[in-house]
Amino acid sequence: MFPIAASELIQIFRNRLVLVTSFVIPVAVSAFFVRQHETFAAIGSLGYIAAIVMFTVAAFGLYATVVTTLASRRQNLFLKRLRSTAAGDAGIIAGLLLPATVLAVVQVAAILTALAAVAGEPANVVLLVVAVLTTLAMMVGLGLATAGVTNSPEHAQVTTLPVTLGVIAVASWVGITGTEDLTLLKRLLPGGAATELTVNAWNGGVAVTDSLLLLAPTLGWVVVAVALATRLFRWDPRH
Amino acid sequence: MSSTPVIEVEHLNLTYGDFHAVRDLSFEVRRGELYALLGTNGAGKTSTLETIEGHRTPTSGTVRVFGHSPGDRRAVRPRMGVMLQESGFSPDLTVRESVGLVGRLTRRTDDVDRVLDLVDLTGRAGRRVSQLSGGEKRRLDFATAVYGTPELIFLDEPTTGLDIQSRDALWATVDRLRENGSTIVLTTHYLEEAQQRADRIGLMHQGAFHREGTVSELTRTLPAVIRFSLPASAPALPLQAVVDGDGTVVIETFGLQQDLHVLLGWAHDHAVALPDLQAGPTRLDDVFRAIKS
Repeated sequence: MFPIAASELIQIFRNRLVLVTSFVIPVAVSAFFVRQHETFAAIGSLGYIAAIVMFTVAAFGLYATVVTTLASRRQNLFLKRLRSTAAGDAGIIAGLLLPATVLAVVQVAAILTALAAVAGEPANVVLLVVAVLTTLAMMVGLGLATAGVTNSPEHAQVTTLPVTLGVIAVASWVGITGTEDLTLLKRLLPGGAATELTVNAWNGGVAVTDSLLLLAPTLGWVVVAVALATRLFRWDPRH
Repeated sequence: MSSTPVIEVEHLNLTYGDFHAVRDLSFEVRRGELYALLGTNGAGKTSTLETIEGHRTPTSGTVRVFGHSPGDRRAVRPRMGVMLQESGFSPDLTVRESVGLVGRLTRRTDDVDRVLDLVDLTGRAGRRVSQLSGGEKRRLDFATAVYGTPELIFLDEPTTGLDIQSRDALWATVDRLRENGSTIVLTTHYLEEAQQRADRIGLMHQGAFHREGTVSELTRTLPAVIRFSLPASAPALPLQAVVDGDGTVVIETFGLQQDLHVLLGWAHDHAVALPDLQAGPTRLDDVFRAIKS
């Protein structure tokens, strides 16, 4: 797994297009939200800003990179090459996705630390960490599933749109309007419960036990995504 | 040394939807052998090879490599090297990084520089794969297959796109590996390579073996051929012959030596010149052409 991860990290930094679209742009967007935090806190809350920057990195950074990477490595038969070695399937996938995942964790941590520095600390750091990690897990799972229906890196620009735009829309909707009306729908949509959890963790004022229940839909999406991925994922472009 | 076959294929069937790619195929490859899997396009060679390599699951039947299922990567892969038909390297990695990565993942040990030297890529070690020529990519692929000198090596059209020097160098390396006891499974479109080097050949057609055996067993079933041009004024030939459209006389025979003797004696006695005279056993090409007839 680690030799694959190391080679993947080299490839990310050598491919400027991936580097810019997946890492520079999400950071730039997040920096804008942090800088204008007073404006956005007035629309929603500081917790809403935390949720939206987390989903910006998770969707445009992590999720899009996962789909693009897997489609690209499949298209040029690198996946088949790796499967010709003694490495197992799980180790191959883990190795390929580890660098992008670690980079996403580092990005989210850095941006939320910056937000805390300029706007005050979150109410429950542990809950926030849990919210971030489950969200990233959900996006990795959705990425694996989407990669199954994506033929090439170019195709990924189309296939990733529903999920990237969808989760950003859900996070904005839930983050700004809360979950007092349409509660069930908002919580069941992908990213809805994760947004509410993040908002609660940052703003405080909600019992931790109530917040923990919000993990269930996010983890449910992880299960759905992985189940879809095991059905849809292909290693070889020809079959 | 054990006499267990390195590869055992029993009643292998592979279907894709309605298409029956491989039909009830059985064969084995023995230790130290160079076995060539040949066939017409779409004959099922690649499907068979990929099943043995562990890239495909049989629809029915069994495949064993070193006595294990090909899917048991930890048991099987450290002992086998694979040269794929298409390269499958990341364009953004260098030649050295690619060999190092794939080599490490095979769990064999070797020196990357030694392997690069073996395939004459030392001067390209720091280049990205995207900058390599087609022939250089084939050599890179070969380098990963022979990394750590595995017991079993799959060569899927290894010399396609190679110039003659690289081709000779590749076969010289294969010869050295065979001296060390490696078993080779080869597919190729260059039939003379198989004719010269294979211990045994499995000739596939429509998913099954059309013939299997040594080169001489395969060619023996078809007659040898004598060809020459003949002046119109020549007397009647001593042997049964067919005249081609372009005036070339073709004699097919299962007694090449005897018939050639008769022909040359006749030519000598009648002072007839036989321009463009050729005589030889059936080539593998002819065995191939005979498949369709």
